[in-house]
Amino acid sequence: MTGVVSTALSSLSLAANRIATAANVIGTLVVLGLVAVVNFDVVARGAFNMPFRGAIEVVQFSMVLIVFFQLPDVVRSNRLTRSDGFLILLGLTRPRLAGVIRRLIDLLSCVIMVLITVALWPEFVEMWHTNDYFGIPGVFTAPWWPIKLTIVCSAALCAVLFAIKSLGIEPDASAISNKSAKGRQE
Amino acid sequence: MSPVEIGTVSVLAIVALIYLGVYIPIALTVVSFVSIWLMRDNFDLAMNLLKIAVGDSVMEYTFATVPLFTFMGLIVSKAGLGNDIYEVMSSGFRRVKGGIGMATVGANAVFAAVTGSSIASASVFAKVSVPQMLHYGYNPRFAVGVVAGSSVLGMIIPPSAMLIIYSFVAEQSVGEMFLAGVVPGLMLAVAYVASIWTMGKFWPSFVGGRPADGYEWLSWSEIASKTLPTLSLIFIVLGGIYTGWMTPVEAGAAGSLAGLLIAMLRGRMSLKGFWEALIETGHISAAILFLITAASIYSRMLGLAGLPNELSDMLVGNDYGFVTIMVVYILLMLVLGTLLDTASIILIVVPLFLPLIEPMGLSLVWFGIITVVGAEIGLLTPPLGISCFVIKATLNDSRISLKDVFMGALPFAAVMLIVLILLIRFPALSLAILN
Amino acid sequence: QETIRAVVIDGYPARALWVKEFSEFFIPEVDKRLAETGNYKMDWQESYGGAIVKPKGVLEGIQLGLGDIGIVTTIFHSSKLPSQALAAVTPFVAPDARVVAKAVDEIAQEFPAMQNEFDKQNQVYLATGVVLDSYQVFSSQPIASPKDLDGTKVAGAGMNLRYLEGLNNAAGVRGGLTDFYNMVQTGLVGSAMLWPEAAATFKIAEVAPYMLKVDFGAVNSKTVTVNKDYWNKLPDEVKTVLREVAVEYRDHIAEISMDRAREALLKYMDAGGSIVEVDDLARAEWAEAMPDIAAEWAAGLDSKGQDGSGMLKAYLAKLEAGGYSGVRDWSAGLSN
Ligand code: NA
Ligand code: NA
Repeated sequence: MTGVVSTALSSLSLAANRIATAANVIGTLVVLGLVAVVNFDVVARGAFNMPFRGAIEVVQFSMVLIVFFQLPDVVRSNRLTRSDGFLILLGLTRPRLAGVIRRLIDLLSCVIMVLITVALWPEFVEMWHTNDYFGIPGVFTAPWWPIKLTIVCSAALCAVLFAIKSLGIEPDASAISNKSAKGRQE
Repeated sequence: MSPVEIGTVSVLAIVALIYLGVYIPIALTVVSFVSIWLMRDNFDLAMNLLKIAVGDSVMEYTFATVPLFTFMGLIVSKAGLGNDIYEVMSSGFRRVKGGIGMATVGANAVFAAVTGSSIASASVFAKVSVPQMLHYGYNPRFAVGVVAGSSVLGMIIPPSAMLIIYSFVAEQSVGEMFLAGVVPGLMLAVAYVASIWTMGKFWPSFVGGRPADGYEWLSWSEIASKTLPTLSLIFIVLGGIYTGWMTPVEAGAAGSLAGLLIAMLRGRMSLKGFWEALIETGHISAAILFLITAASIYSRMLGLAGLPNELSDMLVGNDYGFVTIMVVYILLMLVLGTLLDTASIILIVVPLFLPLIEPMGLSLVWFGIITVVGAEIGLLTPPLGISCFVIKATLNDSRISLKDVFMGALPFAAVMLIVLILLIRFPALSLAILN
Repeated sequence: QETIRAVVIDGYPARALWVKEFSEFFIPEVDKRLAETGNYKMDWQESYGGAIVKPKGVLEGIQLGLGDIGIVTTIFHSSKLPSQALAAVTPFVAPDARVVAKAVDEIAQEFPAMQNEFDKQNQVYLATGVVLDSYQVFSSQPIASPKDLDGTKVAGAGMNLRYLEGLNNAAGVRGGLTDFYNMVQTGLVGSAMLWPEAAATFKIAEVAPYMLKVDFGAVNSKTVTVNKDYWNKLPDEVKTVLREVAVEYRDHIAEISMDRAREALLKYMDAGGSIVEVDDLARAEWAEAMPDIAAEWAAGLDSKGQDGSGMLKAYLAKLEAGGYSGVRDWSAGLSN
């Protein structure tokens, strides 16, 4: 790999990692918002006879935000559910083979994320144009497109992060924190 | 290929990929995607399956219970409620042989009612009670075994992420599943205490230990200040759900808020700890819900292949007995339990067996309890036993190997199996509380 | 003889009324008619109860070809299928599933809007299903008239929450059918809106023994549709049979729903429930105090170039011909 390409990839890697971390912060705030909204509804309904009529839609909406804003950071910090006992054992005797398998797995994961992105993109475009909503007209409605957009962006970012892992590119600035995350996991 | 062949091959492929180390949701998605593509010779249909499953499976109102109860569990762990309950329990059990072990089980049972995961229980009590037991000369294997064994209470006594997952797969009410888990959870706790007493009597070398001397009786006011916060949380959450005042989602939110207030009032919550709990909540929720999404792709693939229809026909044609099906079911869960985590086991086996169970007129709530208890045995068995891993990682003590944790947990896994058989034999144990 | 494979989907379980009748009426009836000529034979795969899609996912499932034939629950899709709300926006007219089902179905044939909406979702409309006779109000406290609901909390779902806007300070609390029993029992709400059959199924009489017979009316909520690509490949003979049987299925489930409703009311009274009749004057007062949801609905369709106003008038005329005229003229507020 030439120096220029390697620097470019490394910056891309750094950018992807930073975006994942930032999305994680937003998703985290949504968790707090969820606690607040549901409690607000309980109190408003119980004490003031004024239930928040959009509570269900807002909860559904925030579930999408929580899951898909956090997913890239889950991927980044190696916390996606897996059972890597075999890889660890193999790594003791055949470290190179184990490394190759890990990269192939990340490649496979990247392919799946690309497929999800490709599958959901037309959905987003359609919702954007038709302005489709969910909920009950006159009671509470919310548009679909932000949901589809969140999923598309999240899957795309996960695809990039898996590609980075598969290629074995370390993001230059956050390389250290990333390693410590890996160490904790294994 | 017939639907049953597709089902069998896909399960084998998924298990092989997972064993190889492929991320579990990715393994489920890949196999489902390829199965549809090959089965119908239609790439677009496979893409459409992804589209519909990823697009709408997270949009479920009850899923909000996952982040809410996770957050509540993390907050109360950080606030030290687990330690408090443990201190009260150990002051009660201190004179008995194996007393600290019993105290650990009791504290776990209470703590389980305010946390939704076994991981939280395992890490809290590995830190709190293992050092105590080692200090009083308990057998290290027994010490870690007790913590591992009783950590599963976290997922059986409500609230529980696993009961939530099951209720989603089997389309049962989360509230009913929670209530059905109360008696089996308490029963398991009692069975653990009884078996510790029995082991102390007939196999004292496995337990080890000497009566604790350093303890003083806690005063009533100390007991009150250490138990009331937890009890009030249990009152809010389970009381709210049981009386119907709140949906499980609302109970989770109210419990989170109350837990937060308690932690702040007791000055045990730093801004940093609070933020960490939020981040952790997001990570856990995203990982679990992405797994559920992937599993829904898999179960829809089985549906498209026509497997549920084929299984029902087989059942009608062959007239398998209840006992046969249950034996096969438990064996399958135990085998999968060696490799897979609880959520994956539930998500893989439940769609396979629902079409067999439902026509037999059996309660799906009861079946859920059986499933969760059966799948949780896998938390304690090698080579992959999450609770054991967590304990090993939390202790970080070179004197205790992973093998010790598994060996110590084995008797408790056996007790679980016995309790599971009782639960299968007497469905009223799970269902009586609902009527 | 040619064999044609058909995957039938619904997210509701096989025991649900309309799903059960699809298995036990629709499918055998189609098989029987095809057997008369013997040219074609259907190979049915019935996948219900979340095997392939959830209740909200049927529309998309048929659109994407995960199922060939499906029963779409239209109330979930106000945005994609706005014209399907026709019966929901015209309360206090016809508490008769048979009349409403026939009228909505005829509107679907006479006006292009409903079929176009399904066509956009890549599916072909076959028939409308109505599975309930009328929403009523079930209360835990004795109530004599709708006035007694003023200032209370009432549980409901979907469009009927808007009916409460015709009462003074009544708060609508959203919930699912399965939650209503608990919500009333704990006093979270004073009453709940549901139909008699559901009230019997969930033993509402135990907690809400006072039924206010407001007769909001029957509402269409189920539509049988077929994936368009699949439909285009079907032989004409099969298409004809499917269309004919769909109409019979429509009348068949409406008939059963009415029988069930009658039995359910008897059951309700056996279980200690009492039914309070509401006179037309009180119903009219409530209806008049409601916002003009029918005109809102028609205007929404008109603005999209669909003849919402025409559909509304034609629909009300059909109900009138069927013997039902409402306490409020929902076409009075139309701008054209
Ligand atoms: Na729990
Ligand atoms: Na295991």
